[in-house]
This record gives sequence, structure tokens and C-alpha cells, in this order.
Amino acid sequence: MLLQLNNIFKWVQQGGQRVFLLKDINLTVEEGEFISIMGPSGSGKSTLLNVIGMLDDFDEGQYEFLSESVHQLKEKHRANLYKQYIGFVFQAYHLIDELTVYENLEMPLLYKKHSSSERKAMVADMLDRFNIVGKKDLFPTQLSGGQQQLVGVARALIGKPKLILADEPTGNLNSAQGEEIMDLFKQLNKEGVTIVQVTHSEKNAAYGGRVINLLDGRMV
Amino acid sequence: MIKNYLKIAWRNLMKNKAYSTINIGGLALGMAVTLMIGLWVYDELSHNNYFEKKDRIAQIFQSQTFNGNIGTGPAIPRPLEMALREGYDDNFKHIVMSSWTTPLYLNYKEKSLSKDGNYMQQGAPDMLGLTILKGEKDGLRKINSIMLSKSVSEALFEDEEPIGKVVKVNSQFDAEVTAVYEDIPVNNSFNDLQFIIPWEKYLTLYEWIKNAEDQWGNNSFQLFVEIPENSSIEQVTSTIKDVKKESSGDEAEFNPQLFLLPMKDWYLRNSFQNGVQVGGRIKYVWLFGIIGTFVLLLACINFMNLSTARSEKRAKEVGIRKSIGSQRKQIINQFLSESFLVTLFAYVLAVVMVLLFLNAFNDLSRKEISFPWQNITFWLISLVFIIFTSLLAGSYPALYLSSFRPVNVLKGTFTAGKYAGLPRKILVVLQFTVSVAFIIGTVIVMQQINFAKNRPVGYDTKGLVQIPVMSRDFEGKYDLMRTEFINSGAVVEMSASSAPTTSIWSNRGGFTWDGKPDSFQEDLAWTEVTPEYAKSLNLKIIKGRDFSRELASDSNAVLINETAMKYMGLTDPVGTFIRDEDEEDPFPPKKIIGVVQDMIAQSPYEPVKQGVYGFDKYGNNSFYNLRLNPNQSASDNIAAIENVFTSHFPDIPFQYDFVDTEYGEKFAAEERIGTLSAVFTALAILISCLGLFGLTSYVAEQRKKEIGVRKVLGASVFNVWNMLSKDFLKLVVISCFIAIPIAYYVMNGWLQDYPYRVLLEWWIFLLAVIGAMAITILTVSFQAIRAANANPIKSLRTE
Ligand SMILES: Nc1ncnc2c1ncn2[C@@H]1O[C@H](COP(=O)(O)OP(=O)(O)OP(=O)(O)O)[C@@H](O)[C@H]1O
Ligand SMILES: [Mg+2]
Repeated sequence: MLLQLNNIFKWVQQGGQRVFLLKDINLTVEEGEFISIMGPSGSGKSTLLNVIGMLDDFDEGQYEFLSESVHQLKEKHRANLYKQYIGFVFQAYHLIDELTVYENLEMPLLYKKHSSSERKAMVADMLDRFNIVGKKDLFPTQLSGGQQQLVGVARALIGKPKLILADEPTGNLNSAQGEEIMDLFKQLNKEGVTIVQVTHSEKNAAYGGRVINLLDGRMV
Repeated sequence: MIKNYLKIAWRNLMKNKAYSTINIGGLALGMAVTLMIGLWVYDELSHNNYFEKKDRIAQIFQSQTFNGNIGTGPAIPRPLEMALREGYDDNFKHIVMSSWTTPLYLNYKEKSLSKDGNYMQQGAPDMLGLTILKGEKDGLRKINSIMLSKSVSEALFEDEEPIGKVVKVNSQFDAEVTAVYEDIPVNNSFNDLQFIIPWEKYLTLYEWIKNAEDQWGNNSFQLFVEIPENSSIEQVTSTIKDVKKESSGDEAEFNPQLFLLPMKDWYLRNSFQNGVQVGGRIKYVWLFGIIGTFVLLLACINFMNLSTARSEKRAKEVGIRKSIGSQRKQIINQFLSESFLVTLFAYVLAVVMVLLFLNAFNDLSRKEISFPWQNITFWLISLVFIIFTSLLAGSYPALYLSSFRPVNVLKGTFTAGKYAGLPRKILVVLQFTVSVAFIIGTVIVMQQINFAKNRPVGYDTKGLVQIPVMSRDFEGKYDLMRTEFINSGAVVEMSASSAPTTSIWSNRGGFTWDGKPDSFQEDLAWTEVTPEYAKSLNLKIIKGRDFSRELASDSNAVLINETAMKYMGLTDPVGTFIRDEDEEDPFPPKKIIGVVQDMIAQSPYEPVKQGVYGFDKYGNNSFYNLRLNPNQSASDNIAAIENVFTSHFPDIPFQYDFVDTEYGEKFAAEERIGTLSAVFTALAILISCLGLFGLTSYVAEQRKKEIGVRKVLGASVFNVWNMLSKDFLKLVVISCFIAIPIAYYVMNGWLQDYPYRVLLEWWIFLLAVIGAMAITILTVSFQAIRAANANPIKSLRTE
């Protein structure tokens, strides 16, 4: 078991009333799974993914990640945990515009105290694997959307995470580019990486093994 | 990691050139001002550092009470020396009597120089720790010796060996050069000490000095001491404070209190009010220190404001870094290293600015500050300064930016304005508070100077020239010279006086007159003048008559000034005799024959002192006062005067001063402060405006879309301008409300030092408010109008 959510609630206070964003979420993710989260806009998909990724808090319930109780951890520990085991892929890529492709890939490693030669080797590996060696000195704005998302995935993978969280990774891409990313995910999953993705497309959901449907913050 | 941070920082700087220029330029300007002020403050504080023993060398001061007023000064009577030597020798390592520093003529072969120096007792060179370059250390041992500074020795003897040579002093006596000492550098007391002649010689020169040996009331000398290492200034002061009171008999009625003023305080803390030390120049050191700090603060505020204003652009980066695993601490470090980089740049730029403007600054402040390239302490302090500034400027943005939560940022719902608004407004208010307070302060300083300048001087300083004649050579030459000068056509009238018109050199008491109130302790300024004094100065006689050469009885006559008339309680002074209290006094009483208008001889900020002008019976000339021929150019007049002078005194260098220039010197200190504070105010305003300019351009950019929508919906340029400017104007108005009471309080305090001062008028404050508003409107409008005129379709399409 990689992680487990038990009776997770999340709400915000609005006009003296609780507005629930997540209601009683119970979810177990095993290692090696490929899960797709689906549901209408505003149903709480991104919220759930952020909670899993520890970027967002929840108000009630328990969250175990690799037998650590996330809800009891301090911010620093939590950051250590997710920087070691989780990689994020965003719909809007979120690359740092001031850094080159090479430097963007290198950045997560800088937060993990790898030696400079190790970093060099790991970045070179990734560039090679994703066929973007020729682009390594370009800045993100000089790339197409598909290429940017490729770098985004490469960046998520470079720290060798157990879990990849992807929020509509193909949302800004055309269908050919999207397919390329989904194939990549499938390939990664085969190699043993656990993947949780949010998507609106049935076709993309079909790449995964299990689909979770959300409606108004509740699993259906 | 650091490399990665710096890389990002560098690229961010390059990407936003306008922002970087404003940020670095503004910070550099602020740092340059602070550096410059820092150098100035250091220079002030290092005064007398040449003297290793500056903590243990002291001058004896005394406070005396006249009619309930305590006056404090360094002048002491001769018998004090023996009293200290006999009863308190253990308390001192050196006791050194000294004359005042006076210019004397030094002649060697055909060379003649006028140089400043003292007559001092034997211990002087050892006490001061003079560096002896040639000759003997104990150079004042023999009465006919003279010690010379290196520069004077070189000027007199050039390549010749100075030791053993005989110099003629003031055409009065010969002195043998026994030692040459290193010149005492500027920025030190005694830096005008170009020669030292033994005190014993001084005692032989004039009758009055000899007579002073047992006169406790004749406070005409200086006494310097060095205390032993195991002692303290306070200790010695408490031991000797009553020595004069106990030994001086009659003088005890003035309650003389002696104390030691250590050399380290001579320059910065030599001001006394009612017997209490009240600081002195140190107040300006503080003032400028505070100004420097504030200017730096202004520049740092710019940095903070611009960085946080740009936070929306950096927020995404923070979000990404956090989602990849960066801790808050690391983000803080990143922004701090960024601010360090900017500060470092700014520092380099600031050093360049300081180098460029150091000369101008030296002229303004009358300093000889050089850039301390070789001073390791300076560089260490600079490093601390850079770190401090980068922390000051960078900590707020670092804390603020690092607090972003990645979910908010990455979702795109993040807007910085909502969160950053208030602190930013507070900072802008702080900035303008300082600027407005500076404006008010500067205007008031300027006003005070003008006020004192416009005060009637009492005599005509224009076209008046004074020539120092303090040498035996001039004895008995007055009438001759007066005729010669007038015959040359360059001079219409001339007089001589025992003190310059711009100063009081002698104060006397111990008199009595009809109608003198009981137990009144008078203190009168006393100047001996030739009968033409009032005429040559254009000084008005308002009662009685002027001196007359025809009346022999006038040799015992005096004129008094208006203040003296009131001070002495005389309504009809003409004909009153001023007698010595001592019945056995051999001199005839002095008859008041007239009253002259008050003339400002001392500080133009203080009331005129009660003064007596006595007929100069004994040729007690110190200065010739020459009224120039108004129908001829000043340069022609001076040339003619010099001609006459050198034909009579070929061995004496011709020296002269224009009295109006000398009088102007009285404003020098305040004028310097006025100019410096005007410059600093201008810079402070410039820095604040730079910040405001940067801030407006960001707000304009932030609201680009909104402005576009509004314009499409029909808003006019004026509407948009109004929308953007209003907020800033509000802040400036708030600043004014804070600045005015503070400035009022501080400047009112400053003015209390000047008995003769301007009133604080409301229009000064109004002026500052209007000025600040005008500057704000101008600065903001530039950006606001540009934004308002932008093509709305274009700005909407960029999203
Ligand atoms: N801080 C917040 N305060 C109030 N409501 C919030 C907050 N964050 C999210 N919500 C609300 O929670 C709901 C779920 O949002 P979420 O972003 O998870 O939806 P989503 O399923 O990812 O939608 P989409 O498919 O459009 O991305 C939305 O209705 C949103 O308005
Ligand atoms: Mg979403």
C-alpha cells in the first residue's frame, strides 16, 4: 500500500457556513496503480489531488503515506516526504521561465543535495530519454506546449518518485501531443511508477486501471 | 544552489531592465549618501586621533557666575599654575601653561613668513607626543629656542640644515631652532601649531604678562595637563575643582569651578550652557547620522516595495519551487541572496558615485576626506553594511514571497494586490513622511540663516578692510600709516583697534559708577580704539559725541554701546565716570562721552553684548580698519594699499581681510548645514520619487486589463489618471499629517539654540505639503497618463 485516505473532509467557511470541498473521501492507492480521477468542473478533483500531494490541508480525517501519518507531520517533514516520493505534472506546465530546460530539470535535484556530477548524469539521462538533448539550452517560452509538458514530466520524474500526480496534463495540448504524454505515462506505469491523474477525457482515463468519479466533493 | 539562485536573480534583473535600473539606481543613490555621510561622521569622530593620549590630555576650564549666569571657558589666570604645581603635583604627569595661538612673523635671511604658534612650557612636546624629526625632543629647555613644524622649517630653510639656525621672531627677539616636528595633520587640535616658543620667553615680552603672575582675576592664559594612567579625568576634576575659589580671595565671589575637559571632547563636546556640558558639534554628527540612516531606509523601502509589487510575477516561481520540495527557509534564502546581489551592485555603484562627488562634497563640507582604499576596517564595515542593507531591503519581500501557498499560486487565483497592499502603503507613507519632514527642516534652516543675515550689523561691513598689525614693527607708526594710506587715495578713513570688528577679545569687570546697583557684577566687552573708529566703520553715535583728537581730556574717555547703556542702568550716560573698584588704582577714571549704535561683533544669532570702546592711549593696535575709497575699484584700492604697506614694512608679508567676508564666516557653519541638508533633502525626494515612479508603473501594468476594459466601456483619460493617482495622493496627505508635528517639534528644538531666531510660520508647512503633492502628482501622472493613453485592444489581447 502506497497511501490511504480515511474519512477526509475539507471545507471553507463562507458567510458563516461551511462549504464542503471534499466530503468523506476514502481511498487506498496501491503501488503500481494507474488511477484516473474524473468528474464535472468544480467537483473537487484538483482539491483531492492537492491533498494527496500534500500541497493542501484537509480539515478532518486521516492520511497515511508509506505508513507515515501525514496529518500529524510538520510542514518541513511533509515537504521532505513529498519531495522524495512525489512528482507533480501541471496542466499549465509551470516551468520556471527564467531557467533553461537543463536548469529546470536540474532544479529538483538541487533541493535534494545531489553532487554536481550526479546531477549532470541524471539530467543527461532525462534529456536523452525524452529526446530533448537539442533543446537543453532553450528557455520554456521558446518551446511548444507539448515540448513544455514533456519537460514538465521529465522534471517530475527526475527525482525518481514513487508517485506521479498529474492535474489535466493534456488539458492545454492538441490530441497528438496529448497522446504522446499518455503513452509516456503508460510506459512509466509499466516500469513501476504509481500514477494518479485528473482528466476530463474518457480516452485518457482508459489508459489507467481504475477510475474514481467525484461529484460535489464526494466519491460516487 | 546559491549559483542557481544567483542565476535566476541575474536573469530577472536583465529581463526587467527598467525595474532593475530604478531598484539598483535608487539603492545605490541611497547608499552613496549614507557612505558619504558615514565618511563625514567618521572624520568628525576621528578628530584628535593623531594624539594617542587624547583621553588623558586635558585643558583646564573654569565656570564662573556673574549675576546668576554661569559662563564657562578655557581662559585661566597665571597663579593657578603654581597652585596646582605646589599642592596637586601628584595628580598630573604634565602641567603646561600656554599662550593663545597667535600669528608671529618669522624671519630668516631675506625670508619672512607669518605663521601661527604658541608659547608653551617645557612639557608640551612630550605631552602632545610630537614626532621629532630633527633636533632634540626636549626642545624648549633653553629660553631662546624655537621648535618648528616640518612645513615651516622647509619653507624657511629649504635645503639648509635647520637645527642651530637663528630665526628672528616678530623683529623682537632671536630664537635658535632646536627641533623640527612632524606637522600635526588637519582634523586635529593644534594642527595650526606651526612653532612653539618657550613660555619663559613669553613672560619677558610684555609687562602685563609679568604682572599677571599673582592676578587671580586676569583670565588670559591656557593651561593643558596630562594625567597619569592610573587616574581619571573625573577624579582629578573633583580634586582640583575648588583650587581657584580657595586661593583667589576676591575672585571667590564668582564661584570659580575648575574642571578638566579631555582632548577627545575638545572638538565635538565643547559647548556649555550655565556650566553644564551641552554637546556641541556632536549634535550635527547625530543629525547627519540620522539623515544618513533615513536616506538608506528610503532606498530600502523602494526595494521592498518594488519587489513585493512584482511578487505576482515571482509567485508562480515560488509555487513551483514549493511543489517540487523547496522549504520556506530555502525560498527565503533565495530572495535574500537576490537582495544581496542587488545590494552588492548598488554598493559598487555607490562607491563610484562617492568617488565622483567626493571633491564637491569636501568643498561643501570643508573637509579633506579621502576615500579609505587601504583601510581594512572600512571594507569590513562595508561588508557589514552591505549585509545589513540587503537584510533590511530583502527580508520583507523574502518573508512575504516565501509565504505564498503553492495551491493558491498554481491554481492562478493568486493576486498579490490584496495581500501586499497595506504594508506597501505604510512604507510609502513612511517614505513621504521622511521627505516632507526633510523639506520642512531645510526650509527652516535656510530661513534662520537668512533671518540672521538680514539682521542689521550696526556698521558698514562693505568696503571695509582690516590689516593685522600685531608686531613690534608697527609700534608708533599709526599716525604715519594713516596719513600715507589716505594720501594714496585708496582709503577715505582709517582707525586701529585692539580687536577685530568681528570679535571681542577682552572682557572686564571690577568697575563702579554713579547709580551702579549694589552687588551688580558687571561683565563688559572692552576694545581699545583710535578716535577715528566710529567714522571709519560708519558706526552711528546716538547720544553724546564721538572722540576728538583736539580735546586732550579725551584720552581718558570711552564710548559705550546701546546695550551697555541699558545694562549699566543709565538713562543719561553722557558724563558718567567709570571708576576702578580698587581705590588705589593708579589710572584716572574713564568718562563716558557718547553712546554708539549696537554692532554685532560676536554671534549674529545672539543679542549684542554690552561693550565699551576706550580711547587707545598706549597704541594697543591689533588691527587697522581701512574704509576703502568707494569711487575706485576694490582691486585698485588694495593694490595701492599694498604698495604703501610694503614700502614701509618690506620684511612683513602683506595680509588683509575684507570685513564683510570675515563677517560672513559667522554663518559658515549654519550655511554648510543648510546646503548639506538641502542636498540630502533633494536626494531623499529623488529616491522617494524613483520608488513612487516604479510603483506606479507596476500598478499601471497590473491594472492594464482593467484599464483596457474601462476604456472600452467609455472611461476618459482623466478618469483613468484620477483612478491611478488618487490612491497615492491620499498616502501623501497622510504623510504630511505625520511629518508636520514631528518636524515642528524637532525644528523648534533646534531653533532654541539661537536666541535670535525666526518664528515658525504656518506657510512653511503649507509649502512643504503643496511641494510634496506637486511632486507626487508629477511622478504619478507620467505613468498614469501613459497607461490611460494605451490602446485598450492591445492590452486586452495580451491575456
Ligand atoms: N479556497 C477556496 N474557497 C472557496 N471555494 C473553493 C476554494 N478552493 C476551491 N474551491 C471550490 O471548490 C470546488 C472544487 O474546486 P476544484 O478546483 O477542486 O474543482 P475541479 O474539480 O478541479 O474543477 P475543474 O475541472 O474545473 O478543474 C469549486 O467549486 C471551487 O469553487
Ligand atoms: Mg481542476
